[in-house]
Amino acid sequence: MQPICLENVSLRRRTQEEFSYDLKRTVLYFLEGKYKHPPKKLVLDQVSFCVEHREKLGIIGANGAGKSTLLKVISGILQPTQGKAWVCGRISPLIELGAGFDPQNSVIKNIISYGVFLGGRRRDMIRRVDAILEWAELEDYAHTPVKALSSGMTARLSFAIATDTQPDILILDEVMSVGDASFRNKAQERMRQLWDASSTILFVSHDLNTVRETCDRVLWMDRGRVMRWGNTNEIVDLYLKAVNEGADIGLHHHKALPDSQPAEGPAALNGSAGPPSLGEPAAFSPETIYQGSGGEGSNDQ
Amino acid sequence: MTRSISGSHLRSQLRRNLELLQVLVDMNLYARYRGSFLGVYWSMLNPIIMMSIYTVIFGKNFAPYYRIPDDPHDNPILNYLLSALVGLITINFFTAATSQTLPSVVQNGSILNKVRLPVAVFPVSAIAANIFQFLIGSMPLLVLITLVKSHNILNLIALPFPFIALILVSLGTGLTISALFVFFRDLPYFYELVVFVISLTTPVFYPATIVPDKFRFILALNPLSSIMESFRQIALKEQLPDLMAIVYALMSGIIVFVVGFVVFRKLQGEFMDLL
Repeated sequence: MQPICLENVSLRRRTQEEFSYDLKRTVLYFLEGKYKHPPKKLVLDQVSFCVEHREKLGIIGANGAGKSTLLKVISGILQPTQGKAWVCGRISPLIELGAGFDPQNSVIKNIISYGVFLGGRRRDMIRRVDAILEWAELEDYAHTPVKALSSGMTARLSFAIATDTQPDILILDEVMSVGDASFRNKAQERMRQLWDASSTILFVSHDLNTVRETCDRVLWMDRGRVMRWGNTNEIVDLYLKAVNEGADIGLHHHKALPDSQPAEGPAALNGSAGPPSLGEPAAFSPETIYQGSGGEGSNDQ
Repeated sequence: MTRSISGSHLRSQLRRNLELLQVLVDMNLYARYRGSFLGVYWSMLNPIIMMSIYTVIFGKNFAPYYRIPDDPHDNPILNYLLSALVGLITINFFTAATSQTLPSVVQNGSILNKVRLPVAVFPVSAIAANIFQFLIGSMPLLVLITLVKSHNILNLIALPFPFIALILVSLGTGLTISALFVFFRDLPYFYELVVFVISLTTPVFYPATIVPDKFRFILALNPLSSIMESFRQIALKEQLPDLMAIVYALMSGIIVFVVGFVVFRKLQGEFMDLL
């Protein structure tokens, strides 16, 4: 059984501008009859893919392409507006290191609370404290408050806690960019161990070389849609080619296409489409991905 | 959306929530007292100081309302002082617990964005930390007063019931405001006003009978009034616990809790877009 399967997952969220509204203004707007329902933006558009057991899937794409949002849907933090997401197993998220630590509290206490947040049992975490400290090489800091640790140490600590118990699905979002060389080697070694012990790994990175080295398959996200999905080298090459040729990937929204959400949804991408078939199981319809190939014309064909 | 997580039956879910609560309460109390256990008693300073001030200012004038007829040893000033103390303990629990619950969801927005957690554990843990503090700080004092004044073990047994009602009111209010704070970040200013109104319309330092009859219903609408009256009736009167007062207090507790629960559940789905 596939540990992760997404079927036509779409997600609408409130737009950033709405983040700062307050009671006073809302009441006044209401009285003046100017109140509008907050607009919602389509941040994931019909995303479909499955991850195989023990697979390492890399997720690449420009900033704002929806990579982290996708991981949040998989982690169960965000519920899809439409579509379905099946996830089986214990997920260990490593999205942005250090979130969830109480900086005033000691390292030991944080190990226990963070472990419980991530789904561990309290008494198991108490038992595992020493092993975690040893792996993170923070034995000397056991009783210091976390705020006294350097950012690299904090990263080591949270990586150590998150990977201490064998998760079924490990999510890594730009983790490897912190820490010194020896920590990176150690982290990679541990990821290998987890993978050998049958973990499925989702890996988000802008470091394409690491993606090439570690991932079996790659998912290329663009403005909330799955651009490409398949063989690592093939997809990374296509992605690099698209970037180098200055194809329109990134934050610009296109003019509305006939079948996309009017003025809201991230419209389809132009120009950078590669060979249409990658020999992947067609869990999503090719039309969804390649629509809108009019526009400025193909760059790579 | 279908989501099947292996081994997610009800019992392990409950155990997980309890463990989360334990960890969060622990963090909360540690942050407040930094391991100095006596810190809990520091929070008793406020009601004791306020009690003294009220007694000095209003004691003489309000004392006649607190006189117990046909009791040669009666000391109305002392009655007023204890009545004000019980009132202050009640209102302080409510104020402290709810204003600490108010930011609980927003403050934990970053962890909620990383890990899938039941959102309600944050407001509940803020209330739980205050319960713990109450049990160590104010409760022994209430127990002592009850024993001295009522001379009856039954009153001691009844004492937890108005406290349960108080917890329910605070929890219901806390859930509501912590959910609303996600949407309205200027809520603390308004809540400060609400707390001020509530503490004035609860007969903490004045006898309810001085309020003109036609405005008395305002006091009756305030769920804290009935709880406070029940506390006083149990702790300060030399009579058996009034069951009706207890039922009335518990009813208002349950109503406020249900409202808070429903509001929280209804708004919960939209939290993540704003955290």
